[in-house]
Amino acid sequence: MSYYDIDSILTDSQKLPCTFELEVPGLGILEGNAGEDIKAGTRIDLPLWLGEMLSIGARLGTSRLVTLDMPDALSERVMNALKADPRTLDLRALAPHFYNLSERILELFEEEEMVDVLTDTFKKRAAEIADHAHNSRGAVGDGVDFLRGLDETERQLFRAAHDRAKEMRIWSGEARRK
Amino acid sequence: MASSRDSPSDRAATMYGELGNKLVQHAKRTQSLAHLPPYQTEIVRAVTREVRDLDRDVTRLLEPFEGAFNPSADPAIACALLVDHLCMRRNKRCLLAYHRVRTEKLEELCWTGVDILEQQQHMDGTQTALGPNGHSSLSPEEEEYFRQYGDLLAAYKGQWTDVDLTGTLEPPKDLFIDVRVLKDAGEIQTEYGVINLTKNSQLYVRQGDVERLIAQGFLERLT
Amino acid sequence: MQTYQTFLSHALQTNQRQYNAGLRLNWRLNCILFVMAFPLPRGVTASEIAFLAEMETVTVVPRQRLESLELLGGPVEPLAPPRRASLPLWLALLLKRQRRANIIPPPWLHPEPLSLILDVESQHQDYQNAFSPPPPLPGQPSVLDRDAIASAKPQYTPDGNRYYPAPPFLPHNTAQTTSSRDTPSLPFHWVEVGNLLLDSASDDLVDPDQIRRLLKDLREVRMSKMRSGVEVLDEAATGGGGVALTGVGSMELGEERGFITGVVDGLRRIGSSKEQARREQMAEQRAAGGYDATQDEEEDYMEF
Repeated sequence: MSYYDIDSILTDSQKLPCTFELEVPGLGILEGNAGEDIKAGTRIDLPLWLGEMLSIGARLGTSRLVTLDMPDALSERVMNALKADPRTLDLRALAPHFYNLSERILELFEEEEMVDVLTDTFKKRAAEIADHAHNSRGAVGDGVDFLRGLDETERQLFRAAHDRAKEMRIWSGEARRK
Repeated sequence: MASSRDSPSDRAATMYGELGNKLVQHAKRTQSLAHLPPYQTEIVRAVTREVRDLDRDVTRLLEPFEGAFNPSADPAIACALLVDHLCMRRNKRCLLAYHRVRTEKLEELCWTGVDILEQQQHMDGTQTALGPNGHSSLSPEEEEYFRQYGDLLAAYKGQWTDVDLTGTLEPPKDLFIDVRVLKDAGEIQTEYGVINLTKNSQLYVRQGDVERLIAQGFLERLT
Repeated sequence: MQTYQTFLSHALQTNQRQYNAGLRLNWRLNCILFVMAFPLPRGVTASEIAFLAEMETVTVVPRQRLESLELLGGPVEPLAPPRRASLPLWLALLLKRQRRANIIPPPWLHPEPLSLILDVESQHQDYQNAFSPPPPLPGQPSVLDRDAIASAKPQYTPDGNRYYPAPPFLPHNTAQTTSSRDTPSLPFHWVEVGNLLLDSASDDLVDPDQIRRLLKDLREVRMSKMRSGVEVLDEAATGGGGVALTGVGSMELGEERGFITGVVDGLRRIGSSKEQARREQMAEQRAAGGYDATQDEEEDYMEF
């Protein structure tokens, strides 16, 4: 994840809930109220690039003035759904860069169980992606819904598998024709 | 053809960093396209304006302290300063990334032999390469960048005369291939002697000799 | 014949030199200078893999005389019919297409050994999740000689430097006489060599249609094994771990490389926080256990 990496920048624009423990005058624009103050105890959805650094940087002594919570995309409800059947969930609707988001969140929160659930999810969905990529009948029926629900990382996996399979078919087809 | 005129919502942001995000989304789209979409001058200007506004805000916040600001004494002001600073850094990152993606695309086009400046001229016939909407696909700086990069590449290629650095990367399958001549082009000198290019004639020639001619449209490969 | 001789030799030298030089220069320069600027497709493409596989040595029966050719890769032996000769595959295919030679298929490219291998791939319980064993390397005992000791046999360059040859520089596709107790196995470039010979030299093969069917079946069985192996890929994603792919083919690797490395990288990223904690714990244990500094450094070096 480098400075110029577009996926990294877009990942950081995904939001998570932040609670301001203090009143900050004039920062109402963060809530959509330009010119207003933020009252203590307000909870706003802020993008990762802002929220993370605020929670680290805004302090009074050792106590944090901005605290972070788990975003909806990685809530317990979602984790339970993934434990049940990871293949039916529309990850893209939860977060376009779902796995990148989870990587960032896991840097901020300690969630060992989440790591296991996500690892299992990733593997099961990857196997499904491999199947879809190699069946040249294309995206028909249920396939369409599943493929539409892939997050960005999974889309790149699909493209990798699909393009190579196609290239292989072309090569052996061409070789056959000559 | 997408119009490069922005709607009013592109210019007004309800939140810091939103416009920067729009730029990055344009960049993401550009990465998957074969051509270069129009330069988003208005959004770029709006983002830089936002950075200047944020800087003015920082100055305003720090003014009463006359250089002796203590963050622990005023945590709320410190928080506001931090937000301003983070937003400025974010906007900078978005601007840099957007421009970098576009220059990468320009370099790619240069390597594949596409002359984007020539294409723009043909589109509208004027010397200044302005599109039909009064906006161009490239910013003036990008045009200059492309020109200089092209010169750099040409100078580099010139150092190796028997290898075409921008040639095809496909491994050769056959030593000799059948080709048909599409245009009259007179005589071509090869290592074996002279080939006469008369329209519609068919030749059995060495692939390495005629690769360039095929790419330029003089010959058509038959096998 | 003399005209063809010089014509061919000259054509080959300049073409080979030009392509090889150009390709290597292109890649090296592109990598050094334009890593970000010129997005080449990641990994090796199918036609590039096939190109490399064309360096495999095969046996031909020439139909015309040809003197030895001096090529970049070394001299090509003179052709004196009806004596068999060893040639690189690309040259054998060129001569075959011009009807100046016939190619002797390698012993594995034949319906019987291919059916045997297919049975091992699909039915044998030891190979449910693994590929059938590859041909032994020089000095490596075959699968049947389990008691023999392995001792790698090196080769030497004209300067006296030692090296251990690997495909395509091993005689896996020549028509050597194999003893009947040797189990048939698929060499590293089986897909490429099989396909290329089926197209250009099918009349030199025994029952090409059956061979084509068997090759297709083999590909399907092996690819499905590779894909179902996604389940164990987190072994490869943890530090110091790995998954064995013994017996895999070159084209199969190339085809699945993008996907598999993508999955491994994704798993690594998801588990990175856990991995980080594990390493911190190990470091604490080591510090508490009181190892001396040098041992610590060695261990750190091995844990990448």
